[in-house]
Amino acid sequence: MKKHMKIYKECIKVAFAAASTYRLNFILNCTIMLLGDIIFPLITVLIYGSGAGFQGWTVYEVLLIQSIFTMSTAIADMTFHGVMWVTMDMVRNGNMEMVLILPVDTMFILMARTFSFEGIGLFLGGFIIFIVAVLNVSIPSIILWLQFLTFFIIGIFVMMGIALIMAAISFKWVGNSRIPEIFSSIRSFGKYPQSIFPKAIVFITSIIIPVAMISYYPAAALLGRVNSGMFIMILPCFLFLIFGIYLYRHMVRLYQGVGG
Amino acid sequence: MKTIKKQLNILWAVAVVTYKEWSAYRTHSMVSILVGPIYFIVQYFIWTAAYGGRAQLNGMDLSQMITYFGASTLIGYLTMDFADWNLQMLIRTGKFLTFALRPIHHRFFAFSQKVGHRLLGLLFEFIPCYFIFTILFKVSLVPTHIGWTILSVVLAFLMNFYIHYILGMTAFWFTQSTGIRRVFDLLSGVFSGVFIPLVFFPQVLQKILFFLPFPYMSYVPVMVFTGDFTLAGVRMDIPSIVGIQCLAVCITILISEIIYRASMRRFNGVGA
Repeated sequence: MKKHMKIYKECIKVAFAAASTYRLNFILNCTIMLLGDIIFPLITVLIYGSGAGFQGWTVYEVLLIQSIFTMSTAIADMTFHGVMWVTMDMVRNGNMEMVLILPVDTMFILMARTFSFEGIGLFLGGFIIFIVAVLNVSIPSIILWLQFLTFFIIGIFVMMGIALIMAAISFKWVGNSRIPEIFSSIRSFGKYPQSIFPKAIVFITSIIIPVAMISYYPAAALLGRVNSGMFIMILPCFLFLIFGIYLYRHMVRLYQGVGG
Repeated sequence: MKTIKKQLNILWAVAVVTYKEWSAYRTHSMVSILVGPIYFIVQYFIWTAAYGGRAQLNGMDLSQMITYFGASTLIGYLTMDFADWNLQMLIRTGKFLTFALRPIHHRFFAFSQKVGHRLLGLLFEFIPCYFIFTILFKVSLVPTHIGWTILSVVLAFLMNFYIHYILGMTAFWFTQSTGIRRVFDLLSGVFSGVFIPLVFFPQVLQKILFFLPFPYMSYVPVMVFTGDFTLAGVRMDIPSIVGIQCLAVCITILISEIIYRASMRRFNGVGA
């Protein structure tokens, strides 16, 4: 564990040095992520501004869902989303052996090496919208905050599961940089109140690919809209992450190193 | 006449080669067959819920809105561009030198590549998604004025290309221009009407958008497709807005040429 912590610390230092070297690009990318973060809330604001809206949801409640989604994405971008891109790249170039021969877990080292500070802008943007939204809904109790934190962390596990499944797919579907788009489109179901979707879709987004846990359930917890049934949704999320880890490790074992 | 024929032959040759090259990665394009409909379903439920019992929002009824997003997705497949990425990569690596020495303008070469690439998009993205939208989702996707729509899409195709090429040329000054490209992609996503029709924006912003390239890249061809163009409270007939789009494209071509000449004076052929 100590060894892993040390490696991770070194990787963070390297990421910081890289960001310092290409300062302008880093600042621009942070700014873009911050601005990009405004898009979905902006659309929500424009929809509500036109006099429309989602029944049973105020604009701030919807913004709360979307801000949680943004913060979750930012954490994923900084800590483990890189594994997807680097795996895709290495499998295509056939140079994954360079990582496989290292005396450390492949999945861990790839996540550590791809640590990125660029998600900071995204996180800050999401956090600001989160604060604004929370200030405009009824103040949650400590219990609700704890429920929110639990769901939020589990939502990040779902994000990790998605990233690992995408990375695992890239072992077979070599050189397709659009794999993330597939999951990104599925994730977009998690950005809105689930009540706007039919039950069949809600079943998929809660049980099969539990993207609703990324932001909808944490927001529902904070708004006091959870019921005991929602806690059962935690189980498929854990299973999803375990499946992601298993699939990734399995594909690493199958890797033959020929490129594509 | 002979020169034009020669240029067309070059265009076709490069387009065919690009088509064949990208055909090897055709599943890359075919991802759209899955992604396009998923995003469309999301938009469908968002707007169905947003309309509730309302007949219209900002002058658009629900079926118009659904058609808008269907047409926007399909036209996007025809006009999509990444000339900026290619160009900035060539400049950064110094490989642009090999193009500067060829007896063919790099912009024309890049344009020919785009033609080939989008032919692939037509076959593996546009046509399958068109059938999915019309047969599976029962969306009416027949343009009101087919001739004007084709012309407007061609102009949007040119607009997308020239704007992205200009963006790519920023690499002559900044070397690493991914940040600038991403800023632009973000702005164009919002202000070209891909995420939400521009009539939902505040009036002042809609007026400003008339003078920016963004609406001519997606919003204008989509509205021409629906047969009813409105922006900033101004309702225009279709030939007029296509005429304005044509003017915008001509101005962009002129700006592109000026920047290209300035870039050539700056280019040192070393890379970074």
